[in-house]
Amino acid sequence: MGKYHLGEFEEIVLLTVAILQEDAYGIAIIDEIEKRLKRKVSIGSLQTVLRRLEGKDMLSSQLGEATKVRGGKRKRFFKLTSTGKKVLEDTKEQRLGLWDAIPSFVINDP
Amino acid sequence: MNDPRPPKLAEKLLLRFIKEDLAEEVLGDLDEKYYSVLEKHPKKANRNYWYQVLNYIRPFALKKTKSKYSKLTIMFNNNFKVAWRSMKRQKMYSAIKIGGFSIGIMVCLLILLYINDDLSYDQQYQEKHRVYRLVNHMNDPTDTERWTSFSPAIKKVLESDYPEIETVGRLIPFDWFNGGNNQMRPEGQDIITYEEGFMYADPELLDILEVQMVYGSTENALSNPKSILISEDKASKYFPGENPIGKTIILNEDTAAHYTIGGVMKNFPKNSHLQTDFLLTLVGEEFWPGEQSSWCCSNYNTYLRLYDGSNPTQLESKLLSIRDNHLVPHFRQRGNLWADELEKFYSIELQGVTDIHLRSTDIHSEFSKGDITMVWLFGIIAIIVLALASINFINLSTAKSANRAKEVGLRKVIGSGKSTLVFQFLTESILYSLVSFILAIILAVILLPYFNIIAEKSLSIPFLEWWFIPLIIASAVIIGVISGVYPAFYLTAFKPLSVLRGDTSRGSKSAGLRSVLVVFQFTASILLIIGAVVVNEQMNYITRKKVGFDKDQILIIHGTNTLGQKAESFKNEIKQLSSVEEVSYSNSLPVEGTMRNNNQFWIEGTSTTKEGVGAQIWGVDEDYVKTMGFKVVMGKDFDPTLTTGNPILINQTMAKELGVEDPIGVLVTNKFEPPYRIVGVIEDFHYETMRDEILSLCLRLQGGNSLAAVRFNPQNVDETLSKATEIWEQFAPNQAIRYSFMDEKFNAMYKDVQRTSRIFNIFSILAVFVACTGLFGLSGFMAEQRRKEISIRKVLGASVHSIFRLLSSNFIRLVLISFVIAAPIGYHYLEKWLEDFEYRIPLSWGFIAMAGGIGLLVALITVSFESLKAGFQNPVQGLRSE
Repeated sequence: MGKYHLGEFEEIVLLTVAILQEDAYGIAIIDEIEKRLKRKVSIGSLQTVLRRLEGKDMLSSQLGEATKVRGGKRKRFFKLTSTGKKVLEDTKEQRLGLWDAIPSFVINDP
Repeated sequence: MNDPRPPKLAEKLLLRFIKEDLAEEVLGDLDEKYYSVLEKHPKKANRNYWYQVLNYIRPFALKKTKSKYSKLTIMFNNNFKVAWRSMKRQKMYSAIKIGGFSIGIMVCLLILLYINDDLSYDQQYQEKHRVYRLVNHMNDPTDTERWTSFSPAIKKVLESDYPEIETVGRLIPFDWFNGGNNQMRPEGQDIITYEEGFMYADPELLDILEVQMVYGSTENALSNPKSILISEDKASKYFPGENPIGKTIILNEDTAAHYTIGGVMKNFPKNSHLQTDFLLTLVGEEFWPGEQSSWCCSNYNTYLRLYDGSNPTQLESKLLSIRDNHLVPHFRQRGNLWADELEKFYSIELQGVTDIHLRSTDIHSEFSKGDITMVWLFGIIAIIVLALASINFINLSTAKSANRAKEVGLRKVIGSGKSTLVFQFLTESILYSLVSFILAIILAVILLPYFNIIAEKSLSIPFLEWWFIPLIIASAVIIGVISGVYPAFYLTAFKPLSVLRGDTSRGSKSAGLRSVLVVFQFTASILLIIGAVVVNEQMNYITRKKVGFDKDQILIIHGTNTLGQKAESFKNEIKQLSSVEEVSYSNSLPVEGTMRNNNQFWIEGTSTTKEGVGAQIWGVDEDYVKTMGFKVVMGKDFDPTLTTGNPILINQTMAKELGVEDPIGVLVTNKFEPPYRIVGVIEDFHYETMRDEILSLCLRLQGGNSLAAVRFNPQNVDETLSKATEIWEQFAPNQAIRYSFMDEKFNAMYKDVQRTSRIFNIFSILAVFVACTGLFGLSGFMAEQRRKEISIRKVLGASVHSIFRLLSSNFIRLVLISFVIAAPIGYHYLEKWLEDFEYRIPLSWGFIAMAGGIGLLVALITVSFESLKAGFQNPVQGLRSE
């Protein structure tokens, strides 16, 4: 019971964090999403989702080193937790299950 | 070179609202984003930064203001919660409290807007503190008079003899040669249009009244003879989209009345006492030989601007030299006894320009004016209504105190101090007050358009003024505190022990004060009802009084002077119409807006030994008396075959003032024209409003008049009108017909009085309504308190009737006391008000009794609602609970 269902944007963010591995912080995530999916994301909306996921214990975060390009401010790096991984995998299973259930002619037909 | 940096302001804003633990990384993210955007689109970077910052205003990122919990805020929140709950628990009482309150506040708001508008008149001049209007003052002990017109020669004297006067400008704001109403057309156009309100003015007046110009300048616009200054409105009407300076305007198809436009002025602001679209120059005008340098014939309103620092009171006493050096000698030379009167009683006053609108009720002038006493009266009504609503609040709060007593007791036992409890109840009343204010403003916004129609103003709620919102909030708090302070102390004075033991006298302890307040409410209400009744009666009396002529079947066609030679044949054609009974040309009719004048008449040969009789002289034709339905009481009407020898008709008042037994055949003179022979006396009729008594009047024969009065058979008004229009169009194809009905014009004379009385009525009704909601709440409360008693009485056999009497008799007694207080006060003030009218109703006690009856009836209906409910209820319901 109580399986958490990811929202579409949440799923994208989780996946992106996973892609970036050690390098997942605010702007990097946005750049990645913009690069791969060609969609605009504002920092504010991303942060909302990051906090929410952190609150659901799917992400963990820690502050990193300060760099010059950020005016001496530190980055916060995000990492998938095991729960996060589990949820992602579950989600993937569900999607694949759904895809498998579609008779092939439905999609292949013009 | 400076490196570009993220916008400081946006950064600050962000730090203002964002959680501390988020700040560092978020700022970092934003900076990084900023610089990366900067590389690609330098122009977008700043904008993007702002966008991102604003995007951060989301719940998750905001600082928790509540994080700094303090005892005070907890308590405050709790107070609000308790207040909110008690408001919800007693829906009816809350509705009455808030409803009454918001109606009271709305009335207050509307009245304040109205007053504010009246007070804003003529405040627009930068130099208003040194701009004055001259006023004649005749302080005859039997009859004080003030008027504003002066002799033409006064200008030169003021300019040369009085060093404190900077500028003098004169104005002729009435029908006078080309002043007043004209048929006009621009040269080169065919269509003749009727325009109103032409005035003559000196060029200096533009400077004194700070007239704003669109084209041209105040120095040059009127400086050439025969120049005219027109308003922006009229410029765009006749010369759309061009600068009309130098164009010519022709008045009344008169070759002598060609005026060249010297400038275009901005429209006068709505709150200026002077309203005109056309100013004709006085430069080079001399209305008859020697007119400009003469001391006879006062036709000029005179405005001054003094030098800074000069003392107007001193100037007033210096101005007496005008009387002594010019006016008195002028009249004495001509053997006019007026000179003695002047010497004894006459003085010249200075009236500040800002006082012209509101403080001129006793001054004869051409401008429409407000009345400072009305401003006061409305202000008082506003305060009364607000007081009524506040009293409702106090009464209902203390009455319901029993329900809160336990709460107070318990709070005290737990350790709450008196001050915190007082604070709690004050919070509650402020909450009520705030809610009421919000409702009141919503109501006012909805009702303002209707109020504007009734009040004939264009008021708006000044939401955008910086002071408005703070003022509203401050008044909400203040009124909340004022009306909450008594209940708060009353409620917190309960002794916890006795309350919890259950023997509070359930809300009846303050019954004495409540009664006093109810008496106050109803005294005020009954006063307003008395006022409304008497004002209405007086208005009815005035509009229905026999005026001495037949005003109901007369059509007036205006502008007939442009017909010239064709006037006679036009008259004959109109007369041919089957529905038309009589037609007559004249310049003056017994309604406002037609020509008036003032002349002195003497019986021939007595002008040096007697004082003249001041009288109007109206130019008419021989059918005038027949058409208007006047009665000839002595002598005969004009004889169409005998028009030589200057025959005139006079009214009864003039006959009396001339002081001759048999005026028929007597010769009278005004010293301008050859003497007139009186051929008949007509019955007095009202030609001014009923505020004024009927004054002397005579009628003389004259051609070229501007008004045609058409008496018609009222059964086919439309047909008469359309046929008359047809005929008019044959005679004057370029000039649209302009007509009016005499009875409408007549009623228009009382428009301002009627408007005032209508506003008065509405506010009175609202005040009474507010008082009644309070009474309703109280009676409901009483019935509830005595529910058990009533049930037991019913079980023992009491009738509905006796229970009704039991519950309502107390209130009725209070209303009766109020009536006893209100009646003499009302009588006194209304008597004073009626004294202002020359023709008035007698103020009988009948009206006052009637008003009292209305008050009592309204109170009875209000109270009976709850009393009857209590009387009819099943006694089991009231007794079941124990």
